[in-house]
Amino acid sequence: MVTQANPRPGPITGRSGPSGSPSASRGRARSRARLRAVATAALFLLPALVGLVFLRLVPSFDAVVSSFTNRLGELSTANFTFLFTDPQFLGSLKTTLLFSLVINPLQIALALFLAVALTRRVPLVGIWRTLILLPIAVPQTVSAIVWGVLFRPDGPLNGLLGALGIPSVPWLVSPTTALMSIIILCSWVGVGYWMTFLVAGIHEIPRSLYEASDLDGATGWKQFLHITLPGIRRPLLFVLVADTVANFLVFAPVRILTQGGPEGSTNLIMNFIFERAYTLSDTGSSAAATVVLVGIVIAVVTVQFRMLPGKD
Amino acid sequence: MADTIPRYHERRTGRRTLLIVIPVAVLAVAPLLWAIISSLRPGDEIFRYLSPVSIRTVVPTTVSLDNYRAVLESSFTLALLNSVIVTAVSVALGLAVSSLAAFALAMIPFPGRTVLFSVMVVSFLVPFEAIAIPLATTFRQAGLQNTLVGLILPAVGNGLAIFLLRQFFLGIPISLSEAARMDGLGWFGIYRRIYLPLSRPSMIGAGLILFVFQWQSFLWPLLIAPAPGVRVAPVAIADFAQESGVDYGQMFAAATLTALVPLVVLLFAQRQFTSSLASTGEKE
Repeated sequence: MVTQANPRPGPITGRSGPSGSPSASRGRARSRARLRAVATAALFLLPALVGLVFLRLVPSFDAVVSSFTNRLGELSTANFTFLFTDPQFLGSLKTTLLFSLVINPLQIALALFLAVALTRRVPLVGIWRTLILLPIAVPQTVSAIVWGVLFRPDGPLNGLLGALGIPSVPWLVSPTTALMSIIILCSWVGVGYWMTFLVAGIHEIPRSLYEASDLDGATGWKQFLHITLPGIRRPLLFVLVADTVANFLVFAPVRILTQGGPEGSTNLIMNFIFERAYTLSDTGSSAAATVVLVGIVIAVVTVQFRMLPGKD
Repeated sequence: MADTIPRYHERRTGRRTLLIVIPVAVLAVAPLLWAIISSLRPGDEIFRYLSPVSIRTVVPTTVSLDNYRAVLESSFTLALLNSVIVTAVSVALGLAVSSLAAFALAMIPFPGRTVLFSVMVVSFLVPFEAIAIPLATTFRQAGLQNTLVGLILPAVGNGLAIFLLRQFFLGIPISLSEAARMDGLGWFGIYRRIYLPLSRPSMIGAGLILFVFQWQSFLWPLLIAPAPGVRVAPVAIADFAQESGVDYGQMFAAATLTALVPLVVLLFAQRQFTSSLASTGEKE
């Protein structure tokens, strides 16, 4: 892990030198300063821009082009016509939306709840935070394999339920519980991660605000509504957007554990796209499905930006 | 007296909070512990005691490091090393690139700034898995197949890290940089001497994003670096699992080793990341 603390005196660009005679017009000086700001901004942005253009935008453009290209290489909307009459695609769209509607509120509520709990004066607080954050560090291939064993009908989860006198759950083998099992696995991975951003946000709220409201006799719930929640608006917006995007893109657990089954009940859209591209070698409709997915993601994120008060 | 009452109150709620926190921590850790325990027992014993749950489910009959010895003598050691190198370089480069861009987007006034920011945010919404296929073709044409550079490059341009850092930079009082400009400090100086030192927690947050992205990546290495010499740990583990007659003991040993590196990183980063910004100077 590399951090860039300890500022050392380095080359300083754009420093205003001992230039300019006093008689130079202010207007010209100002426009020169603006030009210099633009040039500096361009230098700052150049590496990121080159990366984003060549690593994201160009391949995305390729995907859009191939989504509008039929098998004969002609410009056409055939891929989209196919998709929106394909029961498999419509089913995976429905599954993805259901998945998102359940997992996003669930993960964010849990993350927020834990973040509030772990910013109180709890003994050994750092240890609990780290332990809850640990699952994100495990490569997805590994967590999928471990949970695949936990979820086995004769596995430890059902063994545990049996010991508690609860009838066993079919987990990944039944269409009614498979999606729920994937949600459990993804939440096990994600909640601690999103919690960490919210913990950082709560720490940045000045202590004095809480002390003042303590003196006013405010309850914990009121403090949460009037101090904590407004205080973490920015990290919360970040978590909301990033978590939603991440959950639209869930792929590895589905691929490794269920391949979309049973009966398409876990066929999240990324799995559909993958199967179209790799198993069926249908680049066109896989690209079209990607375009649809990106469109949905952008629409949802735009609404989220609007929902939270204030710009940025 | 007025001082002691809230403190007493706080300590009590803190203890009560433990009743919620400890079970959650156990839930988070239990599957990992189980994988670690499984890595210490012979492969054929892992599935024998799963159900009904008994003491044997969690306590191996024999504890041995044979699985680890076998894994470390295999090509997995090289895969682990590749993962460490690729991830470390990705995080360092990614942080430099992202923080520079985020600073320009947050602080330097230039025409088209909002549009550029939108383009950058939208670009990270494009699923990387989806563009991986056309991108892999381009990379092969550029001769980047089976190179560490080919593995590192896609992780460097990360819109999510830029987004996070920009959000943070916007929260730093503008009066600080205005005062610095009055004193004749240029934009790079403000970035380097004011914003970077104040942004330690956010830099670690962004570093965490870059780290997780690269450490977890699976599809991209599979496409661009299939050769044994540049294989990374997640791919090697998947190879383990896909072997016929997989030795689950060795697989869990490899998994445990792969989780060890992030564990060390997290133990360091978590504290820094969540540490309060006591030195921000003034608040909005």
